[in-house]
Amino acid sequence: MKQTFAELGYPGRLIAVEGLDGSGKSTQIYLLKRWLEMQGLKVFFSEWNSSALVKSATSKGKKQNLLTPTTFSLIHATDFADRYERQLVPLLKAGYLVLCDRYIFTAYARDVVRGCPPEWVRGVYNFAALPDLTFFFKAGLEVSLSRILDNRPTLKHHEAGMDLNLSPDPYESFRIFQGRIFEQYLAMSTEFGFVVMDANQRIEEQQGIVRRLVDSHVHLDQFRLAKAA
Amino acid sequence: MPRSKSRKNRPKAHDGASVLIPKVTPKRFYGQGIPGIDSDSLTGKLIVVEGADGSGRSTQIARLVQWLEATGHHTIQVGLKRSTLVSEELEQAQQGNILSRTTLSLFYATDFADQLENTILPALRAGSMVIADRYIYTLMVRGLVRGVDETWIRNLYGIALAPDAVFYLEVRPDLLVQRVFAKNQSLDYWESGMDLGLSRDMFDSFLRYQALMRDTFRRLQQTYGFDIIDAERTPDEINQELQRRIEAVLCGQD
Repeated sequence: MKQTFAELGYPGRLIAVEGLDGSGKSTQIYLLKRWLEMQGLKVFFSEWNSSALVKSATSKGKKQNLLTPTTFSLIHATDFADRYERQLVPLLKAGYLVLCDRYIFTAYARDVVRGCPPEWVRGVYNFAALPDLTFFFKAGLEVSLSRILDNRPTLKHHEAGMDLNLSPDPYESFRIFQGRIFEQYLAMSTEFGFVVMDANQRIEEQQGIVRRLVDSHVHLDQFRLAKAA
Repeated sequence: MPRSKSRKNRPKAHDGASVLIPKVTPKRFYGQGIPGIDSDSLTGKLIVVEGADGSGRSTQIARLVQWLEATGHHTIQVGLKRSTLVSEELEQAQQGNILSRTTLSLFYATDFADQLENTILPALRAGSMVIADRYIYTLMVRGLVRGVDETWIRNLYGIALAPDAVFYLEVRPDLLVQRVFAKNQSLDYWESGMDLGLSRDMFDSFLRYQALMRDTFRRLQQTYGFDIIDAERTPDEINQELQRRIEAVLCGQD
């Protein structure tokens, strides 16, 4: 069974947010980050799919539709591993609070919806420890969809799940794709002990809950930046 | 077109008009495989040549392709770092020497998967011979000597198709180093395993790294059962052995 960073004896703690696009998770983790920073704590924020090194390959693959479910999965795992080995682990060893906008559960959900075998995907990410706290922002599917779709954005090919041939209409494809990812999140929720957030609530209400939970799970005083002598 | 009646009557390369029809044998993936691929549709043969730089891999492959085409088999070549998707990025990353081991393993796995899905499997479906200039074994061995978890890397390469034949060209490290010098006058950073910190001295590191690689290959051989070829012989002798073994594969013998 996989262990959390606390269980593995790391001085740092990792807090992750998960949820559909449009669930408001990025807003919440941003506000959490601001709160922690303003207390003078050692905080680091990391986003999914952001390793500079792998980025050019990922964007080329996506633009030219070169990716299959397997290579889509592997290239995101490469990106994650690069951030994990070069940033997250060293920072957690140095006693940082690491905030992650999406973690391995995003891959578990998306890759499985794309047709990769669940055991294989989990095996690929087996090198990564579990977060110490994971918030799942659960908005009604329609709420998440309308937050994204109401502006009639141009949906990218993979974002809309067009590679799955669910529907020739990108908006319809997006709806079905997000619905399936939502089901995966729900299924993982108990298994991994997600804190399930009612993402239909007001931003402030949610942030209040997030801050209280972080405060009660993590001894924040241990994460103060060392004062210069 | 007359077909060969039996193996004994099969004409040698270059002089025959009759072409051997390779026997289709069942294929399997090492693990879960690739979603949506039916391995029964793969009628071609996948032949892998493994071995260190200087083991004569390229020479042997060039000759095998020559021979296979001469005997009427359409042949496709693949190798490491040749994918459309990530080959350039992988090259850059290697130049900079900034990737950690898990990341590098995954990057190579991406390159492999891209070629597997876009080149190897379509070619096998079309009935071609695919000659791979190294396959997952080199990638696994490189990871293993760098301390990557064996269960993890086996699962990772559960996507791979088990080849019809794998030949590991084995040359002892002290002979390998001579062959490399005869060709390049300098040792390669990665082929010397300098990132492992085995020795500050490049020559010494090369010998120790190549010995480590060979030992790990031999260990994997027990699981994956590939043919270890004594590659300290002359190119002709090695090629004759490879041809003989490949002929057996084409006839559907193990």
